Amino acid sequence: MREEVTGSMDEVRPEPQSKAQSDSLPSAAVLGVVSAFALPLAACGGGGGGGGGGSSPPPPPPPPALNYTETEAARFLLQAQFSLTSDDITAVRQQTYAGWLDTQFAVTASQTGTAWLDGQGHGTPKSDGNYFNPIMGDWMAWRMMMTGNDQVRKRLALALSEMLVTSLSPIDGFWPPYVIAGYWDMLTANVFGNFRTLIEEVTLNPSMGFFLNTKGNQKEDPATGRVPDENYAREIMQLFTIGLYELNLDGTVKVNGSGQPIETYVQSDITNLARVFTGYDWNYSRVTWQNTAFLPYPIPTTEFTRDRMALDASKHSDLAVTFLGTTIPAGTPGATALKTALDTLFNHPNVGPFFARQMIQRLVTSNPTPAYIQRVATVFNNNGAGVRGDLKAVWKAILTDTEARTLPTSPRAGKLREPIVRWTQWARTFNIASTTGKWEIYDTSNADTGLGQSPLRSPSVFNFFRPGYVPPQTQFAVDGDVAPEFQIHNETSTAGYINFLAWSINSGYNDVKPSYSNVLTLVTDSKGLLDWLNLRFTANQISAATITLMQTALDANPVTAASTDAQKMDRIHGALLMVMACPEYIVQK
Amino acid sequence: MYKNNIPDLNRRAFLKRTMALSAMGAAAPMALNLAAAGEAAAFDATDYKAIVCVFLYGGNDYANTVVPYDLPNYDKYAELRGGNPGRLRGNIAYGHAELTPTALTPVVAQTLTDDLQFALNPNLTGVASLFHAGKAAVQLNVGPLVVPTTKAQYQAAGVPLPPKLFSHNDQQSVWQALGSEGATRGWGGRIGDLALSSNGNSLLTCISAAGNAVFVSGQNALQYQISPDGAIPIWAAKGWAFGSGQVSATLKDLITRSSSHVLENEFARVTARSMQMEEIVNTALAPVNLTTSFDTDGRPNGLANQLRIVAKLIGARNSLGSKRQVFFVSMGGFDNHDGLMENHPGLMSAINEAVSAFYAATVELGVADKVTLFTASDFGRTLSSNGNGSDHGWGSHHLIVGGGVRGGQFYGTAPHISVDTDDQVGQGRLLPSTSVDQMGATMARWFGVSDSELPVILPRIGNFATSNLGFMT
Repeated sequence: MREEVTGSMDEVRPEPQSKAQSDSLPSAAVLGVVSAFALPLAACGGGGGGGGGGSSPPPPPPPPALNYTETEAARFLLQAQFSLTSDDITAVRQQTYAGWLDTQFAVTASQTGTAWLDGQGHGTPKSDGNYFNPIMGDWMAWRMMMTGNDQVRKRLALALSEMLVTSLSPIDGFWPPYVIAGYWDMLTANVFGNFRTLIEEVTLNPSMGFFLNTKGNQKEDPATGRVPDENYAREIMQLFTIGLYELNLDGTVKVNGSGQPIETYVQSDITNLARVFTGYDWNYSRVTWQNTAFLPYPIPTTEFTRDRMALDASKHSDLAVTFLGTTIPAGTPGATALKTALDTLFNHPNVGPFFARQMIQRLVTSNPTPAYIQRVATVFNNNGAGVRGDLKAVWKAILTDTEARTLPTSPRAGKLREPIVRWTQWARTFNIASTTGKWEIYDTSNADTGLGQSPLRSPSVFNFFRPGYVPPQTQFAVDGDVAPEFQIHNETSTAGYINFLAWSINSGYNDVKPSYSNVLTLVTDSKGLLDWLNLRFTANQISAATITLMQTALDANPVTAASTDAQKMDRIHGALLMVMACPEYIVQK
Repeated sequence: MYKNNIPDLNRRAFLKRTMALSAMGAAAPMALNLAAAGEAAAFDATDYKAIVCVFLYGGNDYANTVVPYDLPNYDKYAELRGGNPGRLRGNIAYGHAELTPTALTPVVAQTLTDDLQFALNPNLTGVASLFHAGKAAVQLNVGPLVVPTTKAQYQAAGVPLPPKLFSHNDQQSVWQALGSEGATRGWGGRIGDLALSSNGNSLLTCISAAGNAVFVSGQNALQYQISPDGAIPIWAAKGWAFGSGQVSATLKDLITRSSSHVLENEFARVTARSMQMEEIVNTALAPVNLTTSFDTDGRPNGLANQLRIVAKLIGARNSLGSKRQVFFVSMGGFDNHDGLMENHPGLMSAINEAVSAFYAATVELGVADKVTLFTASDFGRTLSSNGNGSDHGWGSHHLIVGGGVRGGQFYGTAPHISVDTDDQVGQGRLLPSTSVDQMGATMARWFGVSDSELPVILPRIGNFATSNLGFMT
């Protein structure tokens, strides 16, 4: 029922079944394909099953023993990535959690944001002023969320983008879409690397330079009283690495003899560290300046949007820097000073627990136990081979930890699924594709009419929500819990989300359309349809009683094979709306 | 000794709140504390009053908002901010002549520190007119303090200081809720706690038109969030969804029913509130006829849109039974480490349009002397330039606007135009000479909070010499 799509090659294809799996486990891939076809008919039957093979080829090897239940595998997958297929479940059960993660770490990164923008011609100056227009940055960001087989990489990069925040609001100047793509591409390139490298790339990234003012930051000038800009120096400490208070390995706050928290830094640390970040600006060394018929001045090519910022030694402060007990002598060259400063931050004992807690919150639960944080922070500090900051080891520690893998029974467990993740899950589950290649999905930050959130569009460096947010007058406050994502949940945004959902599951968004072909065979079986959705959207976390309520509602309008296409689609849309608006889905446990 | 604890509200407020809640059929308050003795109600109000907080996220640059204008002080300002010879604009300093149209002449003569005279930002023309009409005042150098603090005490950490000075998120929280990030009760909400029983619909006591904000969350007063276009209906839950009344009905049930799981329950609680209030609010708003234009320059202005819905809600006060309300609106973009002279004028222009229109709307609605608007922000900024902007500071100057304001005057102590005097802590980061508590208390008293109740709203008010700065009638 969907039109075959024209446009660039990688635009249109529904995602092939797990490439990673076929790369690494050829025999298992055969099974995967079989079960992909068998599953819709068998609803939620077990993943395995030996398809009836012929007699002449050599007999297939016996199916590997499967680990975990289907539900357990699904629950893991929805923490590690946006969406899941039945093949993904099979792969996890065959490979184990850790083994499957290793496979995903090895998946080649899909097309970058920059390459996509290039492919769309968004880097060619046009008389419509595209070189100043940020909105293609939103198209890029949503396309990055919604496509590509490397969805673990992308899900984790999204989590990083919510701690190490830059934002398309308000990047201006030439080529804003490329500037934000440069940041996204840097995150996806480093998400499986080392935190020390990551934080350096973040520091020198053009987008971050613009967002937190390292770009153009100059040394002090006693004659005019000008002093270095302190913005990045403050936020790299407060938000990106160590936080406000000294932490124990388990993330709890250290206290002094009188029971007060111990602050990690004071204003003079910031004033000093600010000197390290002077002398930088966007790097135009690879840029070609293009003359056009429609502008009186030349337009740069886009290399500056992704090249590390350049250091101009004449604008770099030569003053000594003393911060966090480290002294960088006067006259130290800028690159050396930067290395010392970043090494100092990276080696601060806070980084492990500070980073661990926030990433656990993004992926698993709002209120991890100190023991869980400590286990992850311990891996951050040493991956077992003496390496500090090994992000692959950290992701694995977070996602395979017993606290992540045990289905919680506490009524306080889990987290609110954030709107970007909800909508991306829907899009990927239904193989969303563009009919034109344009991916014209705009900033969805408006809470009245959109999601109240949009990728790479945080309203400030403090992200859409703060890791310590406590919704006032709630049980969270009574219990001493935090609930970060509730910072963007209110009377307006909850209505806006459900309206946006109802509209988009029916209509898609501009040229971007879902395909419900994978559930069409279930349309006459309301229970089967709901079970299919329950597994893929919630890892079967919607209770049987709630499923029954939904089924009763659907069955009020009977659908048979003879029903019209409109009636069939109404049933699918209605089922999806109930599932994706239901609190048992919204809260990921 | 210093008061650092926030006491619980008194019994009266709880009892009245409980009755209000049961009348609404809403869930019971979380933690009732009925131990304290009852007293007379402060808010058995028959008239109407509202406080409107305009929060400027990012830390407003005080020195280009309330600008030194007399020549000796202007010259100091221009020197620190890179003004050009001939008193012309340069770096982050305005030219002197640019300030003339918005130069402020107090309606009653005042002598300020160093004989300072001030002008408002050149874009604040409407606010300057309100000042000269006696409807707007300037509170000088106000900011968070625990106790009155000298520079020597600050440097020696000889007195308790507000937590995490110069940090955006924490100082936003300190301004709004007198505690660093994670605080859950704002002083606007605490005022609202006392007013709940005065209102026909207690949920419409504390209202944000700008997303979640702790300022309007009290112990019992909930922050009700409204969009600039009014309350948003959940269309699919209003009877018909994808060809099915049953799907719609089930959807409504699923998204509003309580749950034993805390997160699910809170999601549904907010959604239920959204749906319950939507019809009440939109029905009340529909007949409100407000002719004042909130778009005088044709440019988008989110702050003006927020203040317009606030004005409309005030216009609906009779049908909603509202007697005392606290509102929160906001705009962002004030963290101008870079590009101050490119970005800040537009922000000031938006404030000017929005605040002028809002005041005019209160005149149209006949409540000009019943509605008081004030600005607040994370912090002030440095006086010195960092090249093309300014960095995080502490104290700042703020505007108070309304017919109930003793306008046309400056309040508080003007700071020297300096980066080395004792009223700043380096680079012209102002050491506040007036506390947020005092500014809040002055408005709270006007609103109807009794002297004995002020410490409930602003627990540290007793640490300061006066709880009445005099800017309210």
